[in-house]
Amino acid sequence: MLLAILLASTLAQDSILKDSRSADTRGPRTIAVDEVLAAQAHVHIGDRVVISARPTAPGDTVIVAAIVRRSTDPSEVAREDLRVRTHLDQLQTLVGYGDRVDRFAIETRPGTDPQRLIERINDVAFGFKAYRSSDIAVETSRTFQVVSRFHRAIGIITIVASSVFLLCIMVLKVEERRRDIAALRLMGISRSTVVRAIILEAALIAVLGSVLGIVIGWLASLFVNWHYQSLYHTPLAFSIVTTPIVLVAVSLSLALGIAAGIAASLRLVRQPPLALFGR
Amino acid sequence: MRAVLAQASLVRHRARTALAILGVAVAAAMLLDMVMLATGMRQSFKELLLTRGFQLRLSPKGTLPFDTDATIPDVAGVTETLRRNPEIGEISPVLGGSIHIPIGDRDVSASVLGIDPSVQGDYELLYGRDVRTPNAIVVNDRLLRALGKRVGDTITVATGYDPQTRSYSGQRGFTITGIVRFLYGASDQSAAAMERQTLKQMNASSPLRAGDRASLFMIRVREGGDVENARRWIESRLPSVSVLSISTALAQVDQRLAYFRQLAFILGTVSLFVGFLLVTTLVTVSVNERSGEISVLRAIGVSRIHIVEQIVIEGVVISLIGATLGLVLGLITARYLNSILSAFPGLPMAIDFFLFQPIAAWSALGLLAASGIAAGIYPAYRAASLPIAETLRREAIA
Repeated sequence: MLLAILLASTLAQDSILKDSRSADTRGPRTIAVDEVLAAQAHVHIGDRVVISARPTAPGDTVIVAAIVRRSTDPSEVAREDLRVRTHLDQLQTLVGYGDRVDRFAIETRPGTDPQRLIERINDVAFGFKAYRSSDIAVETSRTFQVVSRFHRAIGIITIVASSVFLLCIMVLKVEERRRDIAALRLMGISRSTVVRAIILEAALIAVLGSVLGIVIGWLASLFVNWHYQSLYHTPLAFSIVTTPIVLVAVSLSLALGIAAGIAASLRLVRQPPLALFGR
Repeated sequence: MRAVLAQASLVRHRARTALAILGVAVAAAMLLDMVMLATGMRQSFKELLLTRGFQLRLSPKGTLPFDTDATIPDVAGVTETLRRNPEIGEISPVLGGSIHIPIGDRDVSASVLGIDPSVQGDYELLYGRDVRTPNAIVVNDRLLRALGKRVGDTITVATGYDPQTRSYSGQRGFTITGIVRFLYGASDQSAAAMERQTLKQMNASSPLRAGDRASLFMIRVREGGDVENARRWIESRLPSVSVLSISTALAQVDQRLAYFRQLAFILGTVSLFVGFLLVTTLVTVSVNERSGEISVLRAIGVSRIHIVEQIVIEGVVISLIGATLGLVLGLITARYLNSILSAFPGLPMAIDFFLFQPIAAWSALGLLAASGIAAGIYPAYRAASLPIAETLRREAIA
């Protein structure tokens, strides 16, 4: 047996009015109202309102039975649609839709092969088509996929920029030690010891910089989430600091720090100590 | 003289200077991209809306054009009301919908616009003839390919299904008379256009779409007319419609795409700051290294302002060379990023997120030049304030 769940939703901007009239002899039906709409229209549970399909058309008086929070759908995050959920038959009558629905959601019994079921439905269907929920999810999340690809591209550009910046800073940092290195070499410290000391120092600076960067990134992430969640009225997380991201950041800065340390120190230790002193 | 000294200082450490220029170039590219992103999509959308000179759009109350299936009833009545305003010139009602075209054992679906060919502003004809007769239909390239037909071929088009009788509803024969490009259509959209009256007749059996309806009215205000006045006038006369002027439409777009504008602002600011920091660091290190040299110059009578100018020139030169390279790099990356965002579902093909405008390039260049000057100020101040005798003594001991 298939369980059909009928979903009916409609745009209700400017069409809800507070009213105490009764719609018919059976008494008013109930509706559920989106929390954003409830806040904007100052609607509370138990309120009687009139809903209609068009602003000037006569409508039905209904009672607000629930205030609901919509599910988090990335593809709808920038839209400001206000929603009302009604009983299916009520909406069909209200909009003159007849005995029609936009879609059926079907739950299969355990052990049913969804692909075979889809094929069977499509064999007999005329005017409609069955899809897997996962296929529909892929289609409806295309907006999100595009945004993700964009973020990835921006991320790569940012990594390139950070790498150049880090490399530059590390080279400058090591070059600043010309005189120290010259002094160490004149004291008889071997080239390899000097190179190792500089690499160790560069690595330490890179790690400390990474830790500071992670703290700043984490704080920025908190701010980004707070800002966009309040802007779009959604609990979706816009920025997440994950362990792989932290590991990539630390590894990258460590690798660049060490590379810069090696390059700069080798260049310096090859020069005679007195030349490093400027003599 | 100042420029020569600045050049000598930069050339002395070629690798370091090259790295700094590269860093500034990447920061400049990012900055240019973000300036283009922040201003481009708005400008691109504005240009798109004004392509055919229609300044106002009427959609069912509370909706944006073609955002829902809602329609405006009584097109004749609405048109008559609009004609009463002398400021209103052309009125173009458009009815949207979907069509099904049976080809052999398959069914090709597409979106359709019912238009008045004499005042339509939704497409431009690329090939063939426009819809001049009730049985004429024009299609875009994508639909023509999906149908496997040519201009001049005939097709049967239906506006709906009747699952109970297993038959199409609103069927009618058409001749494909032309290929068009829909101005507001997405790249992945198969679309067609026919006379609105024809589509109205085909919709006669549909419970929701029967009657004299339009999804949208596009309105051109006469030359010299006040668009905002006309908008207010329509809103007062037609309470069941939303009236969108270019500015209100842009405000809607701004709201929906606020995320990209803010992202552009944040990343642009970070890029500028990174570029500034890089140049400041480089010039400061350079000044520290040359403290003895600078003190000698000061000791032989070179003025403080001369030293300051030389240091600032170093910063500006790095910034400007980096920025010039960055502009080229930025244009390449902008193209790549635009190709990613143009895949947004339903986005009109004509919309560019990264639109190059000379003002964007000048803004980025100006900001980087300013940051280059600012970056040189601190090290220049340090260089100019060096105690001459003490520094020379320290250098001599060293």
